[in-house]
Amino acid sequence: MNLRFTDWIWHVKGSLALAPGQSSDEAFDRLDPLFREPGTSHKRTGDTLTFRKKDQAAQDKMSIFTDGILQIERGVSGLVLRYHLTSRALLLCFLAPLLFLGFAQLTVAIGILDKPTAEELAKEKKKEEEEEKKIAARPLNPIDKFLGAPAPDKPKKDKGKDKKKKGEEEDHGPSPMPAYVFAGIFAALYIGGRILEDRLVKSLFRKRLLDS
Amino acid sequence: MRVLGMNGTRVGKRLIGTQAPVTVGWENIPRVEGGPVKQFVFTWFQPTMLFALLAFWYYAPNSIAKASTAIMIGIGFRAFLLALEWVNPRFDSWRLTWKELATDLFYVGLGYTLLRVVDEYIGDGAMVEAVQGSFDWDKFAWFMGLPLLLQAFLISFIFDFGQYWMHRGMHNWHPLWLTHAPHHYITQLNINKGAVGNPIELFLIGLGIGGFFDFLPRAALLAGTLGLAVGTYQHINVRFNSPRWWRFVFNTTEHHSVHHSQDFEASRSNYSGTWIIIDRMFGTCVDGEAELLGMEGGRRMSIRETMVYPFAEGWKTLKERFGRQEAVPAE
Repeated sequence: MNLRFTDWIWHVKGSLALAPGQSSDEAFDRLDPLFREPGTSHKRTGDTLTFRKKDQAAQDKMSIFTDGILQIERGVSGLVLRYHLTSRALLLCFLAPLLFLGFAQLTVAIGILDKPTAEELAKEKKKEEEEEKKIAARPLNPIDKFLGAPAPDKPKKDKGKDKKKKGEEEDHGPSPMPAYVFAGIFAALYIGGRILEDRLVKSLFRKRLLDS
Repeated sequence: MRVLGMNGTRVGKRLIGTQAPVTVGWENIPRVEGGPVKQFVFTWFQPTMLFALLAFWYYAPNSIAKASTAIMIGIGFRAFLLALEWVNPRFDSWRLTWKELATDLFYVGLGYTLLRVVDEYIGDGAMVEAVQGSFDWDKFAWFMGLPLLLQAFLISFIFDFGQYWMHRGMHNWHPLWLTHAPHHYITQLNINKGAVGNPIELFLIGLGIGGFFDFLPRAALLAGTLGLAVGTYQHINVRFNSPRWWRFVFNTTEHHSVHHSQDFEASRSNYSGTWIIIDRMFGTCVDGEAELLGMEGGRRMSIRETMVYPFAEGWKTLKERFGRQEAVPAE
């Protein structure tokens, strides 16, 4: 498979012009503190810096990245920093919606396989009705009555419609809805993160390189 | 006389903060900074929300007083608190990043999906059904005749009492600790951090949460709202001026940050979820605050390691024991 068309999912690339007169050594010196975070190892050879991160600290400014290469090249108008970073966090976030869609399918499948029989349903309904009767038979504590808390509903009143609706929901077992919602949440998180982290790392490098 | 610093602070018979900084004593904990409006809001927010939510569940008509409403309120409340983290963070070093948010939401997502299904079959769902099937609820008639708020208090307190001992057990018995340890690798407190941990632990903690009192929703919903309007503040990066009575009775971010401290002795305190008064009863309460959290000097544990930790560490422990026994006859 040609990764060229898909690697943008978890690869963040970019370039920044160095300040006029700044040497590559100077530039890497300025970036150096970023690679002294816990769990980070890095190597500098000439105009190239490679790094690798594991168990990144939560407040590590480059916590989403797993490894990367930073190179300083001669551009049209002076030296340019080119970086190519990879992020397992972005890749996993991109895949997370698939996982949650899988959970949704699993939930649906269990609902079909474990459909309660008519007998079980009738038993459950009977139990429910009994419980409801017990609740309704129990008067509210006088204190609660005085303070105006609503009393529990009496059973058998306009129950037919309600019951049917409730029964229908229960028949299908646990709902796959939350799994769909989380698939959506992670899709949104991915898009937000891919844009945000791209910008953050660029501004982080720029600040380090250009701030006096 | 309190001695601050890495010499630790004596609390009862224990020395707190010898390995990592822990602030002990309310008088040493910073208060909300800013203008009068901000001070007012972050002083009165917690009690106001608690009483508003209690009033809501007390008076809501039956058609609204349902578990689904509670779930929606819970989500809305947490979303709002997430926004408060931006407005008034307790520590800058606990700021939510994209990666922290995404990671936390992954665990939250597991709780709402996979764990829910598993629970239904082998967890509290199944247990509740078994108990309800073999229990004579009429014996509890006296309980349901009590005033609603008293019922709610008792449900919440008794449940938290069980959680206290389960949690304390997790910190004292190795097999249980293996399931709970990953949660202690969190290095900052944010609104969804309560969900972070190995699913086995969430499953164990979930035991008993279920619908024992499903048939009397109002008292159960009131009890649930106590957990929401108090327990939620265990993991949050917001500074509040919690009232004195609040922090005497209820668990707070301060208490729970001590529990998550990198200091071993400090982490063996404040086990309760909602009622810190249970810790006071059993002498495990430490009133204070910590900023440096986690294990192994604050190493952040990846999702993968969190998932396999109890098994990997359990296997390691077994092998060590087995290895030692094997070594004996060789001597």
